[in-house]
Amino acid sequence: MEINFETLRGDVERALAEAMDIPSLEALRVRMLGKKGEITQLLKTLGTLAPDERRVFGQKVNDFRRVFEQGITEAREFLQFKQQSQAIEKETIDVTLPGRRRAIGRRHPIASVQDKLTDLFIGLGFTVAEGPHIESEYYNFEALNTPADHPSRDEQDTLYITDRIVLRTQTSPVQVRTMESMKPPIRIVAPGKVFRADEIDATHTPVFHQIEGLVIDKGITLGDLKGIQELAARHLFGENTKIRFRPSYFPFTEPSAEVDVTCHACGGNVPPEGCRVCKDSGWVELWGCGMVHPRVLEMSGIDPKVYSGYAFGMGIDRITSSLFGITDPRNYFENDMNFLAN
Amino acid sequence: MLVPMSWLRDCVDAVKSENLPAFMDRITQTGTKVEGLTLPGEEITGVVTGRVLSVEKHPDADKLLITKIDIGEKTIQIITGATNLTVGAYVPVALDGAKLAEGKRIKKGKLRGLDSEGMLCDIGELGRTRYDYPEAPENGIYIFQEPQPLGADVRPLLQLTDEVIDFEIMSNRPDCNSIIGVAREAAAAYGQTFTPPEISLKETAGGDAAEMISVEIKNPALCPRYIARVVKNVKVGPSPLWLRHRLTACGLRPINNIVDITNYVMLEYGQPMHAFDIDNIAEGRIIVRNAAAGEKFTTLDGVERTLDETMLVIADPQKAVAAAGVMGGENSMVTGNASAVLFESATFNGPNIRFTSRKLGLRTDASARYEKGLDPNLALDAVNRAMQLIEELECGEVVPGIAEAYPEPRLPFKVGYNPASVSALIGADISAGEMVNILSRIGIETENEGGETRAVVPTRRRDISREADIAEEVARFYGYGNIPSRETQTVAAPGGRSEKQRFADKIHSAMVALGYCEALTYPFESPKVFDRLALAQDDPLRNAIRIQNPLGEDFSVMRTVTLNGLLESLALNFNRKNEYARLYELAYAYIPKSLPLTELPEERFTLTFAEYDKKGTDFFDIKGGLEELLWALGLDGSRVKFEASARYPYMHPGRAADIFICEKGGRNPKLVGYAGEIHPAVCHNYQLGERAYAGVLDLECLFTFSAGVKRVFKPLPKFPSIQRDIALRVKTEITAAQVEAAIKEKGSQLLAGIKLFDVYQGVQVEEGYKSMAYSLSFRSPDRTLTEADIDKPMKNILENLSKKLDAALRGLQ
Repeated sequence: MEINFETLRGDVERALAEAMDIPSLEALRVRMLGKKGEITQLLKTLGTLAPDERRVFGQKVNDFRRVFEQGITEAREFLQFKQQSQAIEKETIDVTLPGRRRAIGRRHPIASVQDKLTDLFIGLGFTVAEGPHIESEYYNFEALNTPADHPSRDEQDTLYITDRIVLRTQTSPVQVRTMESMKPPIRIVAPGKVFRADEIDATHTPVFHQIEGLVIDKGITLGDLKGIQELAARHLFGENTKIRFRPSYFPFTEPSAEVDVTCHACGGNVPPEGCRVCKDSGWVELWGCGMVHPRVLEMSGIDPKVYSGYAFGMGIDRITSSLFGITDPRNYFENDMNFLAN
Repeated sequence: MLVPMSWLRDCVDAVKSENLPAFMDRITQTGTKVEGLTLPGEEITGVVTGRVLSVEKHPDADKLLITKIDIGEKTIQIITGATNLTVGAYVPVALDGAKLAEGKRIKKGKLRGLDSEGMLCDIGELGRTRYDYPEAPENGIYIFQEPQPLGADVRPLLQLTDEVIDFEIMSNRPDCNSIIGVAREAAAAYGQTFTPPEISLKETAGGDAAEMISVEIKNPALCPRYIARVVKNVKVGPSPLWLRHRLTACGLRPINNIVDITNYVMLEYGQPMHAFDIDNIAEGRIIVRNAAAGEKFTTLDGVERTLDETMLVIADPQKAVAAAGVMGGENSMVTGNASAVLFESATFNGPNIRFTSRKLGLRTDASARYEKGLDPNLALDAVNRAMQLIEELECGEVVPGIAEAYPEPRLPFKVGYNPASVSALIGADISAGEMVNILSRIGIETENEGGETRAVVPTRRRDISREADIAEEVARFYGYGNIPSRETQTVAAPGGRSEKQRFADKIHSAMVALGYCEALTYPFESPKVFDRLALAQDDPLRNAIRIQNPLGEDFSVMRTVTLNGLLESLALNFNRKNEYARLYELAYAYIPKSLPLTELPEERFTLTFAEYDKKGTDFFDIKGGLEELLWALGLDGSRVKFEASARYPYMHPGRAADIFICEKGGRNPKLVGYAGEIHPAVCHNYQLGERAYAGVLDLECLFTFSAGVKRVFKPLPKFPSIQRDIALRVKTEITAAQVEAAIKEKGSQLLAGIKLFDVYQGVQVEEGYKSMAYSLSFRSPDRTLTEADIDKPMKNILENLSKKLDAALRGLQ
């Protein structure tokens, strides 16, 4: 049987090229490979041929069929791709339209700073301790070397529940509670709320937050305290912050110190018109600290001849204000979503 | 404390030559902190001296004058209404562009048609008062007493250039509440020792004060020392300018030479002093005694006060003449007629003065100093200094001798210290010799006896009583800045948060992920909150802890319910037109064990959340969030139960649920909190015009459950599940929980999940019924199930539903 495969192939290639969509491609496939398709017909004739001829001819038909099938597959892929591209083109959207928000919440700015500080100290081996808000006068004052007639009692604007029970004015009572319940070495931080009889205004709220730290061990020095305070200040305000460690007074530490950092508003270079934030001093007072007073150690049952230690109490609200540029602490307690999600 | 730099420079040589910022920095770093600096004349510029050349009437105004003023380089014309001008007078002239006190600015202009090139100033316009400058007229231009160079800045001439530093004095350092106290610190900061000026007296009056006056102290505990000195031939009059200026700079008002001298010495030495008219001290006897209960006494300010027996008075045999350490009496005040004056220099018990001052509601410069506790050994120097000033200012003749009672003279005390341990505490290598040097600068001498080192501490330093105090003094002047910092410290044990703190952290993370912002609210609130929350009058939650001295009614009770703060915050957001607010807080409710409090109350750790959304939200949003939260805490649906609850007066009675956590397998449910819609009436009370939802969970309770959960991963299923969907016709009042329970009961081991996917009530379902559509899934851990496997459990489930709940498959009934 004489078939011009060259011509056939040419015909098929033309037909493939002309098939502009999937249905005409399918029609072509049926024309060639369907039950009555041309290739099917050719294959059916194979049985009538002599074995030699059959082998040669069969080979040719099968080759042709493979080429055809491959052509069909390629053409289909091409057409599908084209079809998809056209569809995709129609699906184009304006990506600058607003997104549908899935509102995530936020930690309170004070809480985030409190956590940042707590995490710093945990990294340095501190454990997190807690104490009650409503506290006995003993823990809040007496055990902290501040007896009833102590002059600093007046400065503290204490809110009293009864004559013997107060709203804690500082996180320092946690120091005493810890020393009573733990043996040295002690390394704790105690973040939490504190209360003072301060009228609400642009610089005061009657509730604010502190993080207390206490370290008791053998051989703890003022140099250790200084090192850890500098570390904390740099951690908060950046490596380039200048830190000043200055003598101060607290009844429950001796020696005592105040930690100042360069003013975040004027950067320590007070402009001619003055700086409201640092009152022209170039420094902002951050927090108080000191070596635990030997009397406090004694009252808590720790021998000051054997152990020494340091304590610090950081005002978280003030640090938060410095870090975030918050000028009115009243914002902290209003809970305006625009502030909290800020 | 206010310290004029001119005064301090007179006392300390090192300060004299130092520039101001360097000085302020240095003294701050040794512990005397500069709080502020004021330059009194700072706000005043462009005011110069001028001389009046002529004064003429303004042609068009009766009350105005035309003046020509010579200001050196030129002559200017100024129109003024002042009446005290004479030709030749030297006056302060504010030129065009000048700035005066209180921000007043001067510009040239026309007055009734004539040019006025500036303004002539009265003393007030220069930021001073007639107290400072008694020579200034009450109404009129200030006129210099003496000729002045023309065109010169008036500020130095009026002593308006003295810087005044405000020092923060710590409460343990009352000795620094004085010029010499600060001077001592300043000198030490520069490595010097301050020497107080020597006092020498002429004592020209003759006689002996000890014979004129007797002093008796009835209660030495409250008055350790009392000294009286006498001045005769007193001439009361104004003090000289320099003294008045110093008082004014320190915030005191000059009055007359006698009062001014006592005030001056109070500033200089820190020792308050009082002057009595000696004629009013009966029998010349001073008796320091406790007041009688109910004793009436009229103080200098003319107010009659009722004293009690805890208060100390200065008295003569007949009457009280002063409330000790607080204020003198009207009956013995010094007037212009006094022939002789008794000067009191005494020491009183600090706390006692503080209580008296507080009870009388009377705080004076004297009481403020006494409160902090003064050194009895200061009294004599101070009174002698006052006598010296009396003589120098020629306002009287000092009688020799003193009348005194000082039953137990206070002696310097000794504090043993070990230089090595001081050095060790500081963490710097400071030699014993250096310590001795530092201490001696502030008047603490060191003695060595029998191998022991002891500091001899002057009586003014009551704050120093043990080695740690010595260490602070050494460290201060060694310089805190010079102490090497040590950052590497040995850590004995790993740190971290407790289980409960980590549990709280998990709650924070979950709440934030659920879209809630963390809020902070005040733990104390108004008792009116209970009404706003619609609590019954006898509701136990009204038994709240009250603050004795609250910041007003609104902050007077410790909250027993944590909800109020967040409801107020929701209302604030609503009022500010915020589209939604979703807030949560981990806070405490304060539950007293008894009232009034005899022991510390329970502080109940609570999660509170509240929200509204103008776009709409409902109970099931809240419930879904809560389920996610509990799931994050390891408590899956099988352990959480919601039960309708109408027992919270502030919650919607039909849209609130109690939340229970059960033990594994759903046993022993325990109430951990509630959630739901806020009662519309309560929303109204908060002026919250949107439906609001809230929930409260007891975290202590939740923690015990959560802590018991051991997180174990189950292997993922190996075989596929089979699903069956059923639609049930159920009576309206039947709850989803009941249906689910009935399904579970007969679901067999194979039942792996129940999911309610539709609830319908309406025309398709007959009245009194609803349709509930569930998707049930079945799975076996060890094989692929066939449909036949689940025919039996399905049959059982349907039977059970029918039997227990009268629920039937829809379309089958």
